[in-house]
Amino acid sequence: MRHALVLVALMLLAACERAPEVTFADAAITLPDDPTELPDLPGRDAVIANCTACHSPSTMLQQPAIPRARWESIIGKMTEVYKAPIDQSAVPEIVDYLLAAQAARPPERSAPDVAPTS
Amino acid sequence: MSGVRLTRRALIAGAGTTALAAPGLAQSLVGQLVDLGLPDGPSLRPTTPAFPGKGEMIVQRVNAPVLETPMSVFREGLITPNDRFFVRWNWPMPTAVKAGAHRVAVGGAVRQAVSLTLDEIAAAGEHVSIVAINQCAGNGRGLSEPRVTGTQWGNGAMGCAKWTGVRLRDVLAKAGIAAGATRVRFAGLDVPLVDGAPQFIKSIPLDIAMRDDVLVAWGMNDEPLPILHGFPLRIVVPGWFSTYWVKMLSTIEVLTGEDDSYYVAKSYRVPAAPVTPEDKDFPTIPITAMPPRAFITSHADGAVVAKGQPLTLEGIAFGGDCALERVDLVGEGWEMPCTLGPDEHGPYAFRRWSVTLPPLAGDLSQIGVRARNVQGAVQPDRLAWNPSGYARNVIERITLRAQ
Repeated sequence: MRHALVLVALMLLAACERAPEVTFADAAITLPDDPTELPDLPGRDAVIANCTACHSPSTMLQQPAIPRARWESIIGKMTEVYKAPIDQSAVPEIVDYLLAAQAARPPERSAPDVAPTS
Repeated sequence: MSGVRLTRRALIAGAGTTALAAPGLAQSLVGQLVDLGLPDGPSLRPTTPAFPGKGEMIVQRVNAPVLETPMSVFREGLITPNDRFFVRWNWPMPTAVKAGAHRVAVGGAVRQAVSLTLDEIAAAGEHVSIVAINQCAGNGRGLSEPRVTGTQWGNGAMGCAKWTGVRLRDVLAKAGIAAGATRVRFAGLDVPLVDGAPQFIKSIPLDIAMRDDVLVAWGMNDEPLPILHGFPLRIVVPGWFSTYWVKMLSTIEVLTGEDDSYYVAKSYRVPAAPVTPEDKDFPTIPITAMPPRAFITSHADGAVVAKGQPLTLEGIAFGGDCALERVDLVGEGWEMPCTLGPDEHGPYAFRRWSVTLPPLAGDLSQIGVRARNVQGAVQPDRLAWNPSGYARNVIERITLRAQ
């Protein structure tokens, strides 16, 4: 009898050591709002009409300073590779806007991304 | 779940330290600003706790979500908590997934195509856990000089977690691999917004797919994968860049030839040989395995340390696609070995290092840490510049001021 109990206990233990059961529950989240916060410069409406449906303005405005030809190349890639429905007649206006927005960036103050040591 | 949305009050509360705008980011999200140290800027990024299931994260983009881990998190432990782990989506992803309705189609060059439920995936084989670093191919891109375009990451597009699932090869066995198979391709529920745009699908060679430690994972640090990290399933390829760790896995396709899909054949590629910014039309190869890296986490660039006192520096390092062998502190014309912490989590995980310097006579100019892995790969002194800013592993240098 005692041996049988030990055996049962061992079998239970073995069962526990087998792959633990995993259960899957439904999941859902709500993402934060993504308000369009673009500097008020000429061409802003063209950027909103052609760019921000697919991605946040930060995608553009966080880029390093790059020349006009590079912006044109990026917009070309968006059109040709990613099939963005960009109004081609608006491209010069969009590029003007992006260059102006980069030129208008405020100076930055430093705040290092590692807390200071005590 | 409106509780995650930041209120006007939170904006005002967070705006005290820096009134200057972070470029292009929703000011309603701004908690505080961190400086990623990107040469010539823009370098400031807001942090926010506003994303569901996330703590304070650096916001690179709201839509589709791109969130960076603050470097200070890596001081706190070798395992990156789920709520501080970086997030990166190429295309917008579903924000709700019904577990009971989810299927993983396994097809292509297989004996019998199957469509598996989550329970069938979980029953496909032994449950396996592995601790592994998940690092974006573009981690550190924003630090490239000359600068390159793309997501302007600092070095926080990496994290180390315990992943739990079944072996990919056990899932493949449910369908049976047919003769002539060369690669295994993955697709998830994230799809382009417009017709004709390339879906984010990725493939790995068959020998990698059959590895003992390549997983179809549902667990991240002993919790279900959060949606932002790929619920219900993601691929785990220890030692390889994150681009292959396809999230919200819905399709597994066995290929018989090369993969000509956009994100393998055209994107996520690096020059086959070193290039300069002037070079054009050079041969490229897919970015795959990770090289070694090391970071000082105890001190930030420009930090003030005590003159005349010994100084202990600490940080983390990893070997990449194999174990870390050693870490050295390097200065300008000198170097000294660091002491590695215990191997707590295996070859694909972060490992601690520390080193104590003798009493400081003056500033420590341009110091960094250099990792070497057991296969002899060592971090270079100079950046292997490439136009996409991939696979950065140059020695990261800082200067400490002695006072």
